[in-house]
Amino acid sequence: MSELLERLAPDDALPSDGFAELRRHAQKILMQHGFPHRKTENWKYTPLTLLQQRSFAGTGEMGPLPAAPELPFDAAVIRMHNGEIDPSATKLPRGTSLTGLVADDVDVDALVADGPNDAFAWLNLARLGQGWKLVVDERVERPIVLLTTVDDAFEGAVHPRLHVEIGPDSALTLVSLQSGGGAGLHNAVLDVRMGERSKMLHVIDRSGGDTVWIEHATVRVAAGASYRAFVSDAGGALTRQDLRVSLDAPEARGAIHGVATLTDRALVDYHTTIEHHVGPSQSAESFRILADDRATGVFNGRILIVPGADDSHSEMNTGNLLLSENARINTKPELEIHAEDVTASHGATIGQLDDDARFYLRSRGLSEREATALLKYGFAAAVFDDLEPGPLADWLLERLKARA
Amino acid sequence: MLKIENLHVEVDGKEILKGLDLEIGAGEMHAIMGPNGSGKSTLGYTLAGRDGYEITEGRITFEGKDLAELEPEERAAAGLFLALQYPVEIPGVNNAYFLRAALNAQRKARGEDEVDSMAFLKAVREQLKVLKMDEALLKRAVNEGFSGGEKKRNEIVQMAVLQPRLAVLDETDSGLDIDALKLVAEGVNRLRDPERSFVVITHYQRLLDYLEPDHVHVLSDGRIVESGDRSLAERLEREGYAFLDEGAAEAAGA
Repeated sequence: MSELLERLAPDDALPSDGFAELRRHAQKILMQHGFPHRKTENWKYTPLTLLQQRSFAGTGEMGPLPAAPELPFDAAVIRMHNGEIDPSATKLPRGTSLTGLVADDVDVDALVADGPNDAFAWLNLARLGQGWKLVVDERVERPIVLLTTVDDAFEGAVHPRLHVEIGPDSALTLVSLQSGGGAGLHNAVLDVRMGERSKMLHVIDRSGGDTVWIEHATVRVAAGASYRAFVSDAGGALTRQDLRVSLDAPEARGAIHGVATLTDRALVDYHTTIEHHVGPSQSAESFRILADDRATGVFNGRILIVPGADDSHSEMNTGNLLLSENARINTKPELEIHAEDVTASHGATIGQLDDDARFYLRSRGLSEREATALLKYGFAAAVFDDLEPGPLADWLLERLKARA
Repeated sequence: MLKIENLHVEVDGKEILKGLDLEIGAGEMHAIMGPNGSGKSTLGYTLAGRDGYEITEGRITFEGKDLAELEPEERAAAGLFLALQYPVEIPGVNNAYFLRAALNAQRKARGEDEVDSMAFLKAVREQLKVLKMDEALLKRAVNEGFSGGEKKRNEIVQMAVLQPRLAVLDETDSGLDIDALKLVAEGVNRLRDPERSFVVITHYQRLLDYLEPDHVHVLSDGRIVESGDRSLAERLEREGYAFLDEGAAEAAGA
């Protein structure tokens, strides 16, 4: 593993800017713990073999910015390419601003030094490239699309960081549209702080491609605020998302709904945590994985209700479809409850497509292929039931349909 | 339209149909009655082409085509429709979307133009009205949360939209109260046509009061053992299926 450390975080001279001290501190922590390996509980199903095999030689010939996809809904688009944003290229809605991150923005004490589990978050800080802060202090109706791409020839490692601050009574719809490219590493950190009574709708549509795509996200939800995430992952060579939602005050709400549609040799790992720190609070989580060919899907959904967080309620269910003999799914709900007057339900199923349903569809005229696709789509799309109908939902579902 | 000759069918290695013969002409409605275990559902599933129903002997010819050669969706495109005894719930698959996709898949297979969504919705709404079903059901997933009666009526809605040439109703009346039964019968009767035939598989006679079939057959132990007109159904209603044993005993004794 230290070889990987050498390649990704060599003991070279780091840029001396306002972040120099933070980077040194992060580098130290990283060297202490190293990267996760097979015995690291939270990484045991996700070998980093792919990373070990890559040289991260450099960024190669950078091509032109890929054309932005046409979006059937009105949005402000921020483009991040190979880990970099050109702020002049974006016209943001009123009530929002995008500025460079400064060292004081990073709350080091709040970073969890959790052994090798958070190694990549520490790596992000140790090798921090561009850091950005998006501040929202109004109820912004128009979605902001963060279009994140990577060159096909990309073979380096980038570590972008985004902080989002949503002021009290404000609202943001952030659509993270991410598509990977070349055989490099895109190692991002997202830090969201939500003010009282604020709302965030976070839509993530992700296809890692050949890029190793790692994201470590933390969301802090204040009193009366609500965070909702909807994730659609089409799979990639190696994708890992850690998402921690911390319900920090009374009437905070959090919801995570995701689906991963995996084919070929995709390996996708979602580790989510929803923490109830103070009651009353509510959370809901639903996650579905469809795995075909030789793909592997990993899901770990943790709900933590700390002592004193009475009147907390959470609901989690996962559904998993194995579509081929060599597909693999590892799914685990985790409930850790220390408070009173709590309801916490969880359910997990792993199965195959229903033959009765398939026959029924075929008996009405659909071919086996069409019937199978319809059943897969139906299974996958169910996670978006709570997303209000409209152009954004239509767009997300259309993309999902093309993958099912 | 349909000719079944000496049909033997095995399910899970067990022979259920043991030499069934049946001939159905265009525009005719045939009722098939029989005690439990006689093979009624097996006949329906075999006609529709479900996996696990193996034809070991005999032939089924539908409009001149050998049915055994056709996949379930090909049989549908050829004009066959099976209304299931237990319609399947399919969460996540929208009712209207599925029905339109099915109709267009069939039309495409037949070289016909696809139906646009406006025309389709109009046709479906009409059928829903006739069967006194709430339009809201169109927005739900297929049969999800439907009552037993609604599921059966949904089968008739599908039949009305897909316009089959041969409709097989597998115990469509089971689990229905008298009002739902009348609605279903009305829906079926509206579809009667010189170019359309029906096979009504049923355990009880009461549905036949409303449908008035041309022929009634009795299925027992995998074969048609008696055929007649409506009076046969009335006789079964009065005497039950016991007379079949007498008939068998007579035949054995003779």
